[in-house]
Amino acid sequence: MEDFKTIISECIAGNQKAMAKLYHQFAPKMFGVCLRYAKDATEAEDNLQDGFIKVFSNLSAFRHDGSLEGWIRRIIINASLEKIRKQHLLYPVEDVSIYDSVNFSDDVIAKIAADDLMKIIQELPPRYRLVFNLYVIEGYSHQEIAKEMSITQGTSKSNLSRAREILKKKVQENFGELRDQNNYTA
Amino acid sequence: MKENKNIDELFREKLQNYEQEPPAYLLENIFAGAAVNSKRRRLVFWRISAVAAALLLAFIAGWQFNTNNNADLNKQSLATMATDNQNIMENLIQTESHTAKVASGKSIQKKTDINPVISARSTYEKNNSKVETSLVAATNESHQLKLIQGRSSLIPNNPESVWRLQKQKQPEQSVKSIDQQIMEQNQQLLMVQNAEKGKGKWLVGAQATPVYSVSKSSQSAQYARNMLSSESSNPVDLGGGLTVEYKPGKRWSVQSGVYYSGLAQTSGNSTYGGSKNSLAADVASKYLTTKVNVDASTSKISMNSSAGVIEFSGIPSQVVIGNNIETNSMASAVFVSDARFTQNFEYVEIPLYLRYTVLNKRFGIEMMGGFSSNLLVGNQTYIESNLGKTLVGKTNDMEVMNYSGTLGVGFKYGLSKSFFLNLEPRVKYYLNSLNNNESVSYKPYTIGVFTGLSYEF
Repeated sequence: MEDFKTIISECIAGNQKAMAKLYHQFAPKMFGVCLRYAKDATEAEDNLQDGFIKVFSNLSAFRHDGSLEGWIRRIIINASLEKIRKQHLLYPVEDVSIYDSVNFSDDVIAKIAADDLMKIIQELPPRYRLVFNLYVIEGYSHQEIAKEMSITQGTSKSNLSRAREILKKKVQENFGELRDQNNYTA
Repeated sequence: MKENKNIDELFREKLQNYEQEPPAYLLENIFAGAAVNSKRRRLVFWRISAVAAALLLAFIAGWQFNTNNNADLNKQSLATMATDNQNIMENLIQTESHTAKVASGKSIQKKTDINPVISARSTYEKNNSKVETSLVAATNESHQLKLIQGRSSLIPNNPESVWRLQKQKQPEQSVKSIDQQIMEQNQQLLMVQNAEKGKGKWLVGAQATPVYSVSKSSQSAQYARNMLSSESSNPVDLGGGLTVEYKPGKRWSVQSGVYYSGLAQTSGNSTYGGSKNSLAADVASKYLTTKVNVDASTSKISMNSSAGVIEFSGIPSQVVIGNNIETNSMASAVFVSDARFTQNFEYVEIPLYLRYTVLNKRFGIEMMGGFSSNLLVGNQTYIESNLGKTLVGKTNDMEVMNYSGTLGVGFKYGLSKSFFLNLEPRVKYYLNSLNNNESVSYKPYTIGVFTGLSYEF
C-alpha cells in the first residue's frame, strides 16, 4: 500500500512515468473487465481509455481506505455502464423466447476456453450482458443493479434469467453435445 | 437451480480474473485525456475564484454606499436584474432554436440550394411562438424573423417546391428501419431534454435562523455624553421565512422571498453619568445613571441609547428617578436603578440574491450575495431588572425602510431528487442608518446561520 501511495501522489503531480507504472499494473485486468461489458474489443478499448482518464483525473479523491484495485475497477465498470447507457438507451430489449433448460456436465465445461466464453458474453444484448456481469461476476444484488440501471428488481431478475438461457443455448450451439448425461434433476 | 449455478460458476470461474494486454497506443490517449482534464479543472478553479471575487466586490461596493444613494441603488439593482433576466431569456431562446435546428434539420440538410428555406421553415414551425417572443426581446434577431417570415410565406404558395422537397426526402425512407426508429427516438429525446433545459428550475423553501447582531454605531459628542452604554453581547434573536429561487441554468440562480428578522440592542450602565448629583452616589456605579430628559409639557421621559432615543410611554414601575438635591428642576434627573434596556426591532425583508453553484452533487455548495429591502414592522423597548422584563416604550426616529447587503455560503444536501436540506451562514450589513436622528448612525451587522428545507420542481 505504501508503494501505491507514492505512485499515486506522483500521478497526481502529473508524472507520466508513475502514471504508466500504475496503468501497466492494472490495465490487463481492467481490459478483461471492459471486454466483458463491451460488444467487441474496440468498444472495450474505448471504455478502458475513458475509464483510465477518469482514474487519473480523480486520483486525488482516492481515500486510501479501500483497495486501489477495487476503486479503479469501480470506475472502469462505471465507464462501461455509462457507454452502454448512452448508446443503447433507445434499443428496446429484444424479446427472446424461453429456451428449454439445458444442463452441462462439469468436465465438458472445463474444456471450454475463457476467450470463447468472452465472445459469447459479448454477443448478448447489452442489457442482459450488463445484468449478467453485475450479478454473476461482480456479485451485485438485484437491488443494486436495479438502482444502477434505473430498472425494477423484477426486470433485473428476468433479464438475468434470460441472459442465462441465451448463454446456455450459445454454449450448446458452440460446443456441441453438452447435454448432461448425469441427470441431476430431482 | 442446479444448472443455473453451473452456468454462473462456469462464467465466473473463467472470466472473473480474465486478463488481456490492451493495445499499447491506449496509454498515449490516456495521457492526453488526463492532461486535458487537469487543464479544464484549473479553468473551473479560476472561474469559481472570479465569481467569488465578483460577489465579494459587489458586497463591498454595497457596503460603501451612502444612505443618500439607497433609493438609486435599489432601482439600479432592479434594473440590472431585469437586464440579467432578459439576457438569460435570450440565451435560452437562442439555444432552443439552435438545437431545434439541429434536431429537425439534420435529416433534411442534404441539398444546399433549398437548405436555408427548409431549416428556417422548420425552425419557424417548431418554435413558432418562442421565435416570436425572442424577436420581441432581441432586436438583433428581427432581421432573421423577416427572412423566416418571407421564406415561410413563399413555401405554401409554391407547392412544387414542397413536392420537390418531399421527393428529395424519399431516398432517406429507405434507411434501415431500425436506424430510422433510433433516429426518431433520438430526436424525441433531444427535444424532451431541450424542453427540460429551457424550462429552468424553481425552488421553494422555508428557513429559520438565530440572528446574532453586532452593534456598529456612532453618535455626535453631545448625544453621546448623556447616552446609555451599548453592551457588546446582544441577545440572540430569531429570523426566518420563505424563499423562492429560479435557476435558469446549471450554475446561476436568482433568489427572493419574504423573511422576518429580529434585531436586538442592549444597553446598560453609562460610561458617563452624573453620579455626583445622584442621590445614591455611593452605589451609582452599579446603577443606570444616564441623564433622563423630561418634557415639561407632556411629562414624557426619554433617554439616549446608541440606537436612538428611547421614548417611555410612562415611568416604569421598577425604576427610581433621582435628582440633584439642591434643585427642584427635573433638568438634571437621572435613572437610579439596576436595570438593562433591550431595544427590539422587527423587520420584514424582501431579498434579491444572486447565487452561484460551486459544487453540484448530492452535497452541494453555493455562494450567494445580494441586497434586501427591510420594512420595519416592530419597535419595542423593554426594561429588565430583578423584577422582570417590562415593555416601557419604543425607539424614536426609526427609519421605516432600510436596505442591506448580504453575503453567504450555502451548503445543500439532497434528501431526495427534489428535497434539499440547507445550511447557510450569512453576514448581513445595513447600508443606511436604521435611525434617522441626525446625531445617531446605527448600522449593525447581523450574522445568521439559516437552516431549512427546499423543494425543487
